[in-house]
Amino acid sequence: MRTTIVIGAGLSGLMGALALAEAGLHPLLLAKGQGATHWTAGTIDVWGADARSPYAALRAISETRPHHPYALIGVPAVEEAIARFRALTEMARYPYVGGLECNVLLPTAAGALRPAALLPVTMAAGDVRLGGKVLIAGFRELRDFYPPFIAANLAAQGIAARGTYLTVPSAFRRREYTTVIFARMFDDPAFRSDIGRQLRAQRGDATRIGLPAVLGLRDPLEAVAHLQNESGAQVFEIPTLPPSVPGMRLFALFQNAIEQAGGRLQIGSDVIRGEGQSHRLTSIWSEAAARQQEHRIERVLLATGGIAGGGIRTDHAGIVRETALDLPVRTPANRAGWFAPRFLDPQGHAIYTAGVVTDARLRPLGADGKVVYENVAVAGATLAGADTVRERSRSGVAIATGWAAGRMLAGLMS
Amino acid sequence: MTIIPEDHIELSLEQSLDRCIKCNICTAACPVSAVTDMFPGPKYVGPQAQRFRHERQPSPDEAVDYCSGCRVCNEVCPTGVRIAELNARARARLAAERGIPLRNRLISRSGLVGRLGAGPHAPLANALLGFKPLRTVIERTLGIAREAPLPSFSRYTFRSWFRRRRAARAINGKPKRQVVYFHGCSANYYEPWIGKTVVAVLEHNGFEVLLPRQRCCGLPLLSNGDFTAARRAHEDNVASLAPYALRNIPIVGASTSCTLTLKEEAPELLGMQSDTVRAVAHQTYDIFEFLRMLHERGELRTDFRPIERTLPYHPPCQLRAHRIGRPALDVLELVPGLRLIETHASCCGIAGTYGLKVEKYQISMDVGAPLFETIRRSGADVALCDSETCRWQISHGASVTARHPIEMLAEAYGLVT
Repeated sequence: MRTTIVIGAGLSGLMGALALAEAGLHPLLLAKGQGATHWTAGTIDVWGADARSPYAALRAISETRPHHPYALIGVPAVEEAIARFRALTEMARYPYVGGLECNVLLPTAAGALRPAALLPVTMAAGDVRLGGKVLIAGFRELRDFYPPFIAANLAAQGIAARGTYLTVPSAFRRREYTTVIFARMFDDPAFRSDIGRQLRAQRGDATRIGLPAVLGLRDPLEAVAHLQNESGAQVFEIPTLPPSVPGMRLFALFQNAIEQAGGRLQIGSDVIRGEGQSHRLTSIWSEAAARQQEHRIERVLLATGGIAGGGIRTDHAGIVRETALDLPVRTPANRAGWFAPRFLDPQGHAIYTAGVVTDARLRPLGADGKVVYENVAVAGATLAGADTVRERSRSGVAIATGWAAGRMLAGLMS
Repeated sequence: MTIIPEDHIELSLEQSLDRCIKCNICTAACPVSAVTDMFPGPKYVGPQAQRFRHERQPSPDEAVDYCSGCRVCNEVCPTGVRIAELNARARARLAAERGIPLRNRLISRSGLVGRLGAGPHAPLANALLGFKPLRTVIERTLGIAREAPLPSFSRYTFRSWFRRRRAARAINGKPKRQVVYFHGCSANYYEPWIGKTVVAVLEHNGFEVLLPRQRCCGLPLLSNGDFTAARRAHEDNVASLAPYALRNIPIVGASTSCTLTLKEEAPELLGMQSDTVRAVAHQTYDIFEFLRMLHERGELRTDFRPIERTLPYHPPCQLRAHRIGRPALDVLELVPGLRLIETHASCCGIAGTYGLKVEKYQISMDVGAPLFETIRRSGADVALCDSETCRWQISHGASVTARHPIEMLAEAYGLVT
C-alpha cells in the first residue's frame, strides 16, 4: 500500500508528488477538493513586489531574510525546480516561456499590468514590450471579462488598445456560459474558424489580439495557431476569473505526469488529523463516508495552502491552526497584531506571514526550535515567513518548495 | 425545507452554504451541465438556489431534477460545500410538492421489478423487454427510453442459490470469522454470478458468509425524491443488519452504490441518526475496501495466478463518493501481470435510473461519451467497473463487456463460480 503521502493538490503538492513519484516512491496525493490551480492565473510569479528581477530578489532574500522559504532552500534549489517545471510543460506540448532574468508585464482582465516570471506560451504575445496596437476581444456571454473596460485601462497606461465583442456562432449557442464551456468550444476547429473570421474582420490595424484565457483545453497551442492564421494577428490569452482554464491545463498535465511515474491522486479526501510518536508521524486520517480512512505512512509532504487555501485556519477568537496535522503555527502573539492600521499598508499585514516554521529541510519546527516530525516536509503557502501575495511570489514559492520538499523527503537533496 | 431540531444534517447543510466562495470549480467539473442547458450547474441549483428555498414557499426551480446525483461537485469542491445533498433534498421537496410520476415510482422500486422479472420465466420477460416495438410503446406510455440499457433478469435468484448450498462453518474445528454479504438487487435478480464470486472470494479468505434478510438499499428511491419509501427501506435494512453490526460483524457489498447508501446516503439524506443506523453505517464496507483492509493487516491471501492483461478501469461516481481512494486498484495491483488504467472520465452518465428516462437518455449518453471513447481507444474488449448500472451503460455505450473487478480477483485466485 502507498505510504508516501502528499496532502494538497495545488502547485506545491503537485510538484512534490512529481518529485516523489520520479523517485520511485509511488506517492498518494490526498486533497480536500480540486486544488488552487483552478483559482490561479496560470503564470509562475517568482518575485514581483518591486522593480528587481526575480534573480536579484532571490539573491538578496537568501542573504538578508534567512527565514524566507526561498532562503531556506537556497537559490540553486529554486532554479532546479523552475527547470523541472519548464521541462514538464515542454514535454506536455504546453511550454512556458520567460525566466528569472526579468519579469514580463502582462495585461489582466481589469486592464492592469501584472509581472510574471514564467508564462504559458499562449500568453506570450501579451508582453507589453512588444508594442503596436492591441485589440481586446471577448464575449458578452462570458461574465467578468469586458473588452472595452480592459482596453480603456490599457489605453490610460499608454498602450494603444481597443475593445470589441465577438458573436457566439448560432450552432454553439447555449443558455449558460462559463470559462470551461468556452474552452471546450475552442477545442472545436469549426468554432475557431468562425471566431478567427470575426477577428480578421474586426482587427483593423491591430497586430496583437488579446482574448480571455479559454482557448482550448485539449491542445491550446493548436488553437492559438489556428486563430492566428485565421485572423492574421498574434493572439494571446488574458487570465480570467476562476475557474482558470490555464490552471486546469496545468492540473491535467501534472496529474498525467504523476500517474505515469507511479503516483496516484485522490481528490475529495480531506485530511483531518495525524498521529505519531518520538518525532515520527505514523498515521494520518482523511474524512470519508461513515468512517475516517486511516493511512499508515512513512513520509508526508504537507502542501495544504495558507489561509486562502484552507491549510491555515483562523477564527474570531484569534486562534490560528494548521488544519491537517495540527502542526505548530507561528503567528502574531494576539489578534490585535494581525493587521496593520491601514488596509494598503506598505509593510503588509502580519497575519499573512503566519504559517509553519521549518528547518532548511522543510521539516516542521516547534516553538522550542526542535523538529516536530522528522518524516514530514512542508511546502507552499503553509510555510511561515513569506507574504506571498504582497511579494507576488506565491506560485514561485509553491513550485520551488514543493519540488525541494519532495526531493528532500525522497533523500535526493540535502 | 423544514428544519426540525433533531435534524442536525439540515443545519449542517445550511451552514455549508456559507463556505461557497462562488469559484465555479463545481460547475467546471459537472458532467451534466457540460452537455445540456437543462441543468445550469451545481453552484446555481445548489448553494445559490438554496438561499431562495423556504419551507412556506414553493420550490423556486425545476432544474434541480436534472441533477444526476453523481456527486462530482462534492468531490471537487475545495471548500467543502455539500452540494449533492442540497440537490437531493431539494428534489425530494419538489417531488413532495408535485407528486412522483408513475414512471419514477416504478423504476425506483428495483426490488419489486426484480421480483417480478427474475425466475424461471425470465427468458420471457427478457424477450419482451428486448422487443423493440414494445419498448417504443413503453417509451410513449411510461417515458422509459427505448434505447436505454436494461439488464437481463436471471432465471434464478442469488438467494435461492445461496439457500441450496452448504458451506463449511469451521476450519479444523475453529469457527470461521463471519461476514454479512449485502448483495443488493442487481446480484440477486440480474447478476447472481457476481454474488457467487463475492462468496467464493470471501470463503477463499476464510470467512463464513452470512445472508440476513435484506431489501433494496433505497438509493433509487432517494434519487427519485421518494424519501418516504426510502425511509421504510432503510428502517427495514437497519432492523435486519443491526444485530450483526452491533456484534462487530462487517457488512460487505459489491454494489458500490448500495454500500454508499448504507454508510451515508440514507442516514444523511433522511436525517436518520439513531445508534443502530450509525452502527450499520460504521460496519459497512465496499468489497475491495474490505479486502484492502485485510491486506493491510496481512490477512489477505495472495496466492494469485498471473493475469497478463491491460484493462481500462472506471471508478464509478458512487465509489468515489465513499472517499476511500481506489481500493480495487490497490488490491488488483497485487496480481502479477495485471495492469489497470484508470479512465479519468467523470461519469458514465447513467446515474442509476437517470439515463433510463426518455427526457434524460440523450444527456446520459452525452455525459458518458468521453468515457466510451476512452474505453474504445484502449482497444480492450473488457472494461472494469464496480457499479452495475454503470457496467450496463458502458456495455451499451462502448460495446465492450463490462465486468466487476471482483471477477478479475476471483480469476486470479483460480476460483471458478
